[in-house]
Amino acid sequence: MRRRAVTLAAVAAASGTAIAALAVLRQRSMRVERGLAALRLAARGGARYASNAPRLFASAGEHRQRLRNDLALQTAEDVAATLGTMKGVLMKLGQMASYVDDGLSPAARRTLSRLQDSVPPMSPELAAQVVAEELGRPPERAFATWDPQPIAAASIGQVHRAITHDGRAVAVKVQYPGIAEMIEADLGNVALLRRMLKVTAPSQDVDALIAELRERITEELDYRREARNQQMFARFYAGHPTISVPQIIEELSTRRVVTSELADGARFAELAGWSQAERDLAAETIYRFVFRSLYEAHAFNGDPHPGNYLFHGGGRVTFLDFGLVKYFTAEEMQPLAAMVKHLCVDNDPEGFRRAMVQAGFLIPDAPVSTPLVVEHMAVFYDTVRERGPRTMTGEYASSVTRKFFDFRSPLTPYARIPRSYVILQRINLGLFALLGELSATADWRRIAEEIWPFFQGPPCTPMGTAEAAWRARRTVRTHAASLGQKILFFTERAVRQRRRLVRGHTGAGTAPGGNW
Amino acid sequence: MSEPSPEISTAVGLVERYAAAFVSGIPDQPQDDGFFGPASVTWRLSADLSGPVAGLRSVLIQALHPLAMAGVDQHSDWRRDPVGRLAATSAYVATVTYGDRASASRAARRVRAIHEHVRGTDAVTGRPYAAGDPALLLWVHAGLVDSVLAAARLFGTPPADADADAYVAEMITSAELLGVPREIIPDSAAALQEYLAGVRAELRCTPAAAESMGYMLDPAGMGEELAELWQDLRDAALATLPGWALGLYGYPAPPPVTPERRTEIRQTLGVFDAVFMAEPGVLEARQQLELRIRAARG
Repeated sequence: MRRRAVTLAAVAAASGTAIAALAVLRQRSMRVERGLAALRLAARGGARYASNAPRLFASAGEHRQRLRNDLALQTAEDVAATLGTMKGVLMKLGQMASYVDDGLSPAARRTLSRLQDSVPPMSPELAAQVVAEELGRPPERAFATWDPQPIAAASIGQVHRAITHDGRAVAVKVQYPGIAEMIEADLGNVALLRRMLKVTAPSQDVDALIAELRERITEELDYRREARNQQMFARFYAGHPTISVPQIIEELSTRRVVTSELADGARFAELAGWSQAERDLAAETIYRFVFRSLYEAHAFNGDPHPGNYLFHGGGRVTFLDFGLVKYFTAEEMQPLAAMVKHLCVDNDPEGFRRAMVQAGFLIPDAPVSTPLVVEHMAVFYDTVRERGPRTMTGEYASSVTRKFFDFRSPLTPYARIPRSYVILQRINLGLFALLGELSATADWRRIAEEIWPFFQGPPCTPMGTAEAAWRARRTVRTHAASLGQKILFFTERAVRQRRRLVRGHTGAGTAPGGNW
Repeated sequence: MSEPSPEISTAVGLVERYAAAFVSGIPDQPQDDGFFGPASVTWRLSADLSGPVAGLRSVLIQALHPLAMAGVDQHSDWRRDPVGRLAATSAYVATVTYGDRASASRAARRVRAIHEHVRGTDAVTGRPYAAGDPALLLWVHAGLVDSVLAAARLFGTPPADADADAYVAEMITSAELLGVPREIIPDSAAALQEYLAGVRAELRCTPAAAESMGYMLDPAGMGEELAELWQDLRDAALATLPGWALGLYGYPAPPPVTPERRTEIRQTLGVFDAVFMAEPGVLEARQQLELRIRAARG
C-alpha cells in the first residue's frame, strides 16, 4: 500500500514553481482589470512606507513583535470593533496576499500588514476567559503555570507561555473571542469579496478563487485542524536530523485554544548576523522540508513566512504554524511529478505538455507549439534543470514573476490554474523569496533528485546523508509498527476466540464485563 | 453667474487627503482635552464606523439651504478641487473635535475670518447672504449633528437616547465657536428636530445643489475600486435621508434597509475604514486617541 502511494506520488521538486508560474501567467491577463481593490488602494499610501519597512513579508507572527498591551482588547465588543466588518477577513487576505494575487506590489502587502499591526492583543482577563470557556477551567488551573502576558501575536489570536501539570513548557495559542463567527459571516458577503478581488475574467475563475479562499480561511478558524496538521507533520518528521515540529498537547487543544511544546530559537531576522554557511544550511533544511512534505506526505504548508521558523544552528530548524496546510490527492500529485520528470529528466517536451494538460494547466489542443510551451515554462524549472551550485537571490522570485507579467505570452489564453493548485503559488513568493533573502547557495537540483521519488538520487550533502539514515530508520520503524499491529491483531483475535470459548463453557456471555 | 460653470474636477486622492486632514487635527501634545475631551459622546460618535455615511449625509442636508449652497458655490473653488474643499472641512472638524482649546479656537477664528468675505446674492432666490450669518451657520451645524446621529442609528452603534441628547448639547460649543449665539442652538435631540422642521420651508434644491450633490453621489475619477465601494456609501447615505430631503432632490425613495443590507453596508464601511487606516499616521492618531479615552475612563 505504502509503496504504491509513494510511486503514485512520483512528483518533482520543481513542479511547485511551475504551478506558481502558471498562476502568474494566468493572472497576467487579468491583472489590468483585477486586483484586491482595497489592497491596491491601500498601496497608494503604502508606497510612502516602503523605504522604512525593510521586511519583504507581510504576515502574522513577526508583526506586532512589540505587543500593544496598553491598547489591549478588553471585551468581545472590542474584538468586534477591531476585527469585525470585514477587517478580520482583510487581514487574512493580507496574509494570503501573495497567494491571492502575485501582481500585488510589496508595498500593498506591507500596507496590509498595517491592518495586522492595528490589532492589539487581548487583555490577560479576556484571554483567560477564552481559555476557561475552552478548557473548562481557568488557565491557572488548566496549567501548572500560566503567563498572563502574551509572548507573540498570531493572526487571529495570541500566544501565551505556560507549563503543564506534568512539567512540559508549552506555547498556548488563544483565539480572539467571536472572531471565527465574524469572519465566517463576513466571508458570506461574496459580492463584496468579488468587488475586492474585482475579477472581470471568466466568472468560474473568480468563483473558484473565492471558494478556495473561503475554504482556506474557514479552515484556519478551527484550531483543531491546525493541531491535526501539526501532529501529522510532527509524526512524519519525528527523529529527523534537522527538521523539528513541536508536538501538540491534544488534551489541551480545542477549537479556539491550541497547546504545543514550547520551542525556542533564533528568529529569521537574526540569521542576518549568521555566517553564510549557517544560512545555507538553514535554507537547505527549509527546502528539504517543503519538497519532502509535498512529495511524500502530499502536504504543503501554505504559510512559508519567516515568522514561522526558529533556527538552532547546524541547519536545525523548528517549523511552526500549520494553520494553512493543503493536502493533495495522489491524482493531483501525479501530473505535477510527470511534468518535472518529462522536462528535467527525460527531456520529453511532448510528455511535459501532456502532463500540463492532464493537470488542467493547459487546455487540450491549444493552438500553440510545444517548443513554445516549453520555452515559456522552462524558466520556472531553472533551479532544477541543471546540476551545480546556484545562489538564490532576493530578486529570484520577483524576477520570475515580473518576467511573466511583462511577457506577452501566447500561452495566456490557454492557461488555467485548477483550484486545488492555487495554493502552490506560495512556493514562488513564499519559499523562494525566503531562500533569496538568505542568499542561499546549494545544488538544488541534486537535492531535488534525492527527493524526486522517480529519481531517488543518492545523498548529495551531509544533511542528505543524515536524512537518508533517518529515512532508513523510519522505514524500519514503520515495519516494526506494522509488525506490532499484526501481533496486536492476532492477539485480539485469540482473545476473542478465547472469550467465545469461555462463554461457551460457562454460558455467562451476557454477564456485564465478561470478567476474565 | 450667467457664465457656464466649469467642469468639476476629479476626486483623485479622496482617501489620502481625507486621511491627511484627519491626522492634521489630532494634536501630538495637546495642552488640554479641548472642548469635548476623551470622555465625551462627541469623541465616541466621531469614531463610529458610520462616519463616512454621516459625512456624505451632512453635505446632502446642508446643500438644501439655498443660501448656504450659494456661498459654497460662488466663493469656494470646489469645482476645481472638490476633494480639497471636503478635506478642508474635515480638517476643521477634526481640529475642533480633538484639538486642544487653543488649536480649536485658532481654527475657528480662521474660518470666521474667511466667512467675512463670503457674501453675495443667491441667484435662485434673489436673497442676499453672508456666511457669517448665524442662521446659516446654525443650519450647517444642525446638518452635521443630525447626520452623525442618523448615520450611527442606522449603520453604526446606535447611541442611547441620553447619549444622543448629550451629543447635541456637547456640540453647542462647536457652533458657538463659529459665532452662533448659544441661545439659538438646539440643546437636545428633540430640540434639534424641532429646529430642522422649522427651517424646512426655506429649503430647496437649487441647480448648484443638484449638480454638486450629483457629483458627491458619484464622484468622477475616484478610481474604479473605490467607485464600486462608494455605491454602498451612497445607498447608505440616501437611506438615512428624511423623506422631505429625498423629495426636494427628486431622488427615488431607497429600498428599506433590511438587517442583511445593513450588514453588507457595514462590511463595506469596514473596508473603507481599513483603507483609511492604512494611510500614513491614521493608525497612530487613532491609537493615541484610544489611549486618552482609556486614561479618561480610569
